[in-house]
Amino acid sequence: MINFDNAATTFPKPETVNAAVSEAMERYGGNPGRSGHRLSVDTAEAVYISRKKVASFFGAEPENVVFTLNCTEALNFAIKGIMNRYGGHIVISDYEHNSVVRPVFSLSKKGVNYSVAHIYPDDNMTVNSFNNAIRPDTRLIVCTAASNVTGQIPPIEKIAELCRRRNICFIVDAAQAAGVIPLKVGNGINFICAPGHKGLYGPSGTGLLISDGKYRLIPLIEGGTGSLSMVFEQPSFMPDSLESGTVNVVGIHALGKGIDFISSKGTENIRKHEEMLCDRFINGISHTEGIRIYRENGGNYAPIVSFNAEGFTPNELASLLSNDGIYLRGGLHCSGMAHTALGTAPNGTIRFAPSVFNNHNQVDELIYSLKKILKKP
Amino acid sequence: MATYLITIASITLANKACDILKSNGYACAVEKTPKNYASGCGYSVRLKGNIEYAVSLLESAGITPGSIINTGNSE
Repeated sequence: MINFDNAATTFPKPETVNAAVSEAMERYGGNPGRSGHRLSVDTAEAVYISRKKVASFFGAEPENVVFTLNCTEALNFAIKGIMNRYGGHIVISDYEHNSVVRPVFSLSKKGVNYSVAHIYPDDNMTVNSFNNAIRPDTRLIVCTAASNVTGQIPPIEKIAELCRRRNICFIVDAAQAAGVIPLKVGNGINFICAPGHKGLYGPSGTGLLISDGKYRLIPLIEGGTGSLSMVFEQPSFMPDSLESGTVNVVGIHALGKGIDFISSKGTENIRKHEEMLCDRFINGISHTEGIRIYRENGGNYAPIVSFNAEGFTPNELASLLSNDGIYLRGGLHCSGMAHTALGTAPNGTIRFAPSVFNNHNQVDELIYSLKKILKKP
Repeated sequence: MATYLITIASITLANKACDILKSNGYACAVEKTPKNYASGCGYSVRLKGNIEYAVSLLESAGITPGSIINTGNSE
């Protein structure tokens, strides 16, 4: 089995992450922040240690790290948490995932307006597109740090600077960037939303909402926090404000080990390795008749390659490769808006997304299989 | 040496407080605030040593202590 569907979720995970799942099941069985006995206090400390690692990785204070179910939940908390407080207008990019598009569309049914900025291969044109979309009542800009369809990287720092200058809240969707592109809150980035189970190599069921502390979000979920229990109102302090109910201790503990793993490897080294695999893949198939790769000259890309092969839908091709034990994702990647912008709707593309655990022999095997499939009448 | 409890509403901030105090040489631990010192839920940091300096360390880290309780001397 060769997995090149790591943009959906990374697999395999580091051994240390696997071991941490067992360790948490065996050692951290208390409910953190609820009781005073040793098991509960030790479990809370284990959660705090992971929180601190995440905070350090993304340049935040530990209390401004909120553990969520996934990146989608984090984005919903952030987008709706801001707009429910301030109202007004939102700008998103045309490369956003449905985890951004759908909450924004849902808010538009309740009176919030939104505009869509285009992402160009040229950074200045992209920033101009965002700038032109801003209105006097714009409260929020949301932008992916790397497209989950093509891997294209928008100029996040420049958009952040624009937001800082115009006093607009900026949420970065780091679903594909976390772990391969260095990102920190601050300097115009108010929130980073990230999955724990992709480039951070944690288990599924883990996500992160990281704040720079500037904006207070209206919580979408209220409930038990282990704090101020005689008060009916949800606590206003972080992370309790946004972390109701028992957190995913096992996932959080293992996610901390995932952060250790990528910190020890180095984000830049991981990206270089994965880019080397992408280059090998592109060089291996780019001259094959009927292959179209969705990358533009001048664009900056995270290690993802989207392509299509003439005569096959992306799902057909993914299915044929799966028969050879090679796993890629075909289709729309939950990003209908991005595929419309790319001109690949309604069938989408097939996506090659390596992880740190893939190697060039596996890429060569994929190229061989792909060429074999395309040769068949 | 006197032992103190500093009450802090959030377990996360209690752990952060303990972290800061430990890195400044204090012996401390997080515990549930005893019922006679609090109504409802909440956590405290138990520590020995200079309480004024401990509080100033926490305040400079943005942590506002709740109550500060002198629980007596320990051996």
